[in-house]
Amino acid sequence: MRIAAVRVWAFALAGLLLASVPLTAHHEILAKFDDKKPLTLSGVVTLVDWRNPHVHVFMNVKDARNQILNWAIELESVIDLQRSGWTRESIQPGDALTVQGIAARNGSRQAWGNSVVMTGTGRKVLNVTVSGPPPLLQTRPTPRWPDRQPRLGGAAPGAAQGYWAVPSSTALVENGVTVAMDAYGLLRNIADAPKVAPLQPWARALYVERQRRFLQDDPTYLNCKPPGGPRQFQTPYGVQLVEDRERRRIFVLIGGGNSNYRIIQMDGRGQKGQVGGDDDNPLYYGRAVGKWEGDTLVVETGGFNEDFWFTNGGLPHTEQLRLVERFSRTDFDTMKYDVTIEDTGAYTRPWSSSSTLRWVAGEELPRHLCQDNRP
Amino acid sequence: MRAWIFVIALSFITALSVAPPLAAQEGHPLKGSWLGTWAKSANHADDVLVVLKWDGKAITGMINPGTDNIAIKNATLNPEGWVVHLEADAKDKSGGALTYVIDGKIENIHLPKRTITGTWKNQKESGTFTVERQ
Repeated sequence: MRIAAVRVWAFALAGLLLASVPLTAHHEILAKFDDKKPLTLSGVVTLVDWRNPHVHVFMNVKDARNQILNWAIELESVIDLQRSGWTRESIQPGDALTVQGIAARNGSRQAWGNSVVMTGTGRKVLNVTVSGPPPLLQTRPTPRWPDRQPRLGGAAPGAAQGYWAVPSSTALVENGVTVAMDAYGLLRNIADAPKVAPLQPWARALYVERQRRFLQDDPTYLNCKPPGGPRQFQTPYGVQLVEDRERRRIFVLIGGGNSNYRIIQMDGRGQKGQVGGDDDNPLYYGRAVGKWEGDTLVVETGGFNEDFWFTNGGLPHTEQLRLVERFSRTDFDTMKYDVTIEDTGAYTRPWSSSSTLRWVAGEELPRHLCQDNRP
Repeated sequence: MRAWIFVIALSFITALSVAPPLAAQEGHPLKGSWLGTWAKSANHADDVLVVLKWDGKAITGMINPGTDNIAIKNATLNPEGWVVHLEADAKDKSGGALTYVIDGKIENIHLPKRTITGTWKNQKESGTFTVERQ
């Protein structure tokens, strides 16, 4: 009897363990779906799974032989759907839908939904569009602290919330180089790989390999690894810069990932790890020290580990990576971000990349937790 | 008694299943510790540990550090096919000089637990090997 009880307990525990094993990925869409395989599905909703990282709608669809098959339609994140006006209640089980999208590469009954229309009324319920920032109606001056130093994190004490987002570039490319790539850094033409940055041969081959696999091995999506380096500023849900002037440090909070943060030390310390702390412990965000040069915050960072991709698109780096970043709030709504990459382990020379971020006024930093990792 | 054995066995399996996932090493593909086997010979045991480093210019490392301490004197990686070539000087049981020449290929370059398979040879023997990145 006792043995039977132990076995029951044991199998229950094993089941719990299996159930808690994370599934594979939040990902570059083309890693899972093939944009050369468009499809249209009409059917009846059986379930709406409203959760991060992507919402899924399951629907019964009749095939050519009149068999009813259940399909999983993957959609944008909860945040993106909410921004488009879609709520948890927009679609209910029993609703008839027509979905246009692209099919899964592996031939399974999964599709990425580009368009979702209520079959009965013709009402389009999915209306997520990717667009640039809205045009600025007027250029407002850079907000400043009483000592005239630019405010990076807000407008004024007690002013409306806001954060930085809508990067002008979502992947690192050397200044002066033009290559076509999607928001995840996937090159339209893989032959452009050598142009992106001055890669050493091994790093170029690894970059090409990652591109050929549609970035599906990206540890930031696959394992929720922090987006260290410039990638902090390439995430879809923005960053918040919190200036802790009293303690002379700046926190960089990210809207995606696991709500982890980076600290930029502003107390004049050198670019050296703390003995017994991070001196021999490479980190995802490295060790960052900053100082002001005029109206520009200059941040030097070293001590990165090699457990993540430091930019969308999969450019490799090594522990020898050092960054010099320059942040300039050129007006109220614009942050200019210039970064110089020095990594003698992966690149043949230092190189630089520049982009801008836009101020998103009146909103809290979105909370998109990397916690689920469904394929 | 049998129940206790069962519980102990299950605990062991559980411990294995909840072990943290292997940290990905996304830098130079050869960097790290590689553990595996090379066919048994008169001069070395079955198991082999290869530790490799990358300083931006050269690959360096050691075979069986702490036991045989065979320093690698020449190492190359050809990204075209991820072909690995290692050379290392050792001594046989009688103190005679041996030079190992090891040629292999990295498989599953995208995986944290990527492997190198290939052949080794010295003046007296030869065989195959497989090592997996730890």
